Amino acid sequence: MLLDYDRLGGLRTALLGFTGLVAAFLLLPVIFIVLLSFGSSRWLAFPPPGWTLKWYEELFADPAWLEAALTSARIATMAAILAVVIGLLASFALVRGQFRGRNTLRGLLLTPMVLPVVVFAIAIYAFFLRIGLGGTTAGFIIAHTVLALPFAIIPITAALEGFDKSIEDAAIVCGASPFEAKLRVTLPAIKIEIFSAAIFAFLASWDEVVVAIFMASPTLQTLPVKIWGSLRQDLSPVIAAASSLLVLLTLSLMIVTALIRRKLSK
Amino acid sequence: MSGNLLHRPSIFRRPDGIGGALPALILIILFFVVPVVALLLRSVTEPVPGLQNYATLFGDGTYARVFFNTFLVATVVTAVTVIVAFPVAWMLAIMPPTLGSIVFGIIILSMWTNLLTRTYAWMVLLQRTGVINRTLMDIGLISQPLPLINNLTGVTIGMVYIMLPFMILPLVGTLRAIDPMTLRAAALCGASPLEAFRRILLPLSLPGIAAGGLMVFVMSLGYFVTPTLLGGTSNMMLAAMIAQMIQSLLNWGLGSAAAFILLVVTMALYALQLRLVGAKRMTGGI
Repeated sequence: MLLDYDRLGGLRTALLGFTGLVAAFLLLPVIFIVLLSFGSSRWLAFPPPGWTLKWYEELFADPAWLEAALTSARIATMAAILAVVIGLLASFALVRGQFRGRNTLRGLLLTPMVLPVVVFAIAIYAFFLRIGLGGTTAGFIIAHTVLALPFAIIPITAALEGFDKSIEDAAIVCGASPFEAKLRVTLPAIKIEIFSAAIFAFLASWDEVVVAIFMASPTLQTLPVKIWGSLRQDLSPVIAAASSLLVLLTLSLMIVTALIRRKLSK
Repeated sequence: MSGNLLHRPSIFRRPDGIGGALPALILIILFFVVPVVALLLRSVTEPVPGLQNYATLFGDGTYARVFFNTFLVATVVTAVTVIVAFPVAWMLAIMPPTLGSIVFGIIILSMWTNLLTRTYAWMVLLQRTGVINRTLMDIGLISQPLPLINNLTGVTIGMVYIMLPFMILPLVGTLRAIDPMTLRAAALCGASPLEAFRRILLPLSLPGIAAGGLMVFVMSLGYFVTPTLLGGTSNMMLAAMIAQMIQSLLNWGLGSAAAFILLVVTMALYALQLRLVGAKRMTGGI
C-alpha cells in the first residue's frame, strides 16, 4: 500500500507537503538571486527598497565579465567536442571490445569523476607548470576534457549497451562497410545519448571552478574564476546580475534539451 | 556459397578491439595518472626524502582538527541528505507524472545552476543581516542574529542543498524498481503501515540509500568551493587546506601528502561502493 499513490491516505498529504517544502528549498535560493539582481540595495536588503537595472549596467560596463564568459564558452565547447569524440570511440571499445582488463579500463576512464577535483587540480597545475602549459587555453581545454570525459562515456556506453548490434550487422550484410554501418545506423540510433553527453560535458567544463582557479592567469580567466574572485572581495549585487544571467542560460539549456530530445526521439 | 557462409562469422564477430579506447587511454594516462602520481611522489621527496610530511600531518593538532571537521561535516551532510531525500524520492517514484515532472524540473534546475551562483545565494541568505536572520527576528523567535555563516552550520546547509539532487535521483530509481504488490501483500497479511515501512520498504530501498549515501559522503569529503565560501577561515575542511598549502604557503610536500590521504580515503570508499552496487548501477544514475 505504501507504494500506491491513491491509497496512502493521510500519509500522502504529509509526504506531499514535505516534498513541496524540499522543492521550495531547492527553488527559492535561485529565485531569490534573480530578484536581488533587480533590487536597488547595494547591501542586498530583501525585500529590495526599489527596483533597478543598474547592476546589469555595471556588469556590461566591465569588459572583463564578457571576456571571461567568452573564454569559458570557448573552452567548454572545445572540451565538450573532444570529450564526446574521444568518449564515443572509447565507448565502442568498452561495450563491444573483447580484451582483458575491459572493466579495469572502464574504471580508469571514469576515475576523474570520482577523484576529489582539488587533488587533480594541484596535480595538473604542477604538471602544466613543468611542461609549459600553465595558464594557456590549451592547458585549460586538456584539463577540462579529462574531467568531462566520464560525463560523455557514461550516457554513450549506456546507449550502446541497449542497442541491438544485429541491426548494424544487417547493414553490413546489405553491403555497408563496418565504418559506414556505425556512422549511418548506430550513431543515429544513439543520437539522444550523444546529445546528452555533449550537454553534460559542456556543463562539466563551463561550471568547473577548482582547476580553473589554479590554472587561471591575469590574462586568462573563465567565468567561474571571475565570480570566485569577486565573491572573495564582497557580495556585490553585480554578482547577482551575472548569476541571474547564468540561471537564464541554465533554463534555456533545459528547454532546448527537452525540445531536442523530443524531436530526436520522434 | 559455402565460402560466403564461412566468411560471415568473421565479418560479424570481429569484435571492436581496444583500439577505439586508445585516445581516451592516452589522454587519461598522460594528463591524469602521470600528474597525480608525480604529485604524490612529491609528498615523500619534498623538502627531503622521507615520511616527515605524513608525520607532521598526523602529529599536529591543527591538522587533526581539519580532518575531524571534514569527517564530521561529511557525516552530518550525508545523514541529513538521506533523511530529507527519502520521502521526496518516495513521492517522486509514485506521483502522477504531471506533478512529478514539475518537481523533477525544479531538481534539475537547481542541479544545473552554476555552483558558485547557488553558494552565493546561501552566502547572502545566511549572513548576519540576511533574510533568514531578519525574518526570525521580525517574528520574535530570536533577539540576536544567529551565526549561520563562517561556521560549520553554514557549510552543512549549503552542502545539503548541493547534495540533495545526487541523493534523490538515484533513490527514485531504486524505489520505482520495488514492486508495489509486495507492500499490498504485507498490508493484506495485516502489517501496519509502520511495520510495512520498517520491514519491507526500507530494507528494499537500502541498496539505493547505501549507494547514494556513499556517493554524497565521498563528494562531501573532497568538496572545495562551498565549504571554503561558507565555512570561513577558522573552520577549514581538507580540500581547502590542501589548496591553501599549495597556493598560499607553497608547501608542496605537505600539500601533496594531504592530497594523498584524501585520495586514499576517497578511492577506498569508491571501491566499497562499487562492491555494494556494481559499477553499472552506480554510474547509470546520470
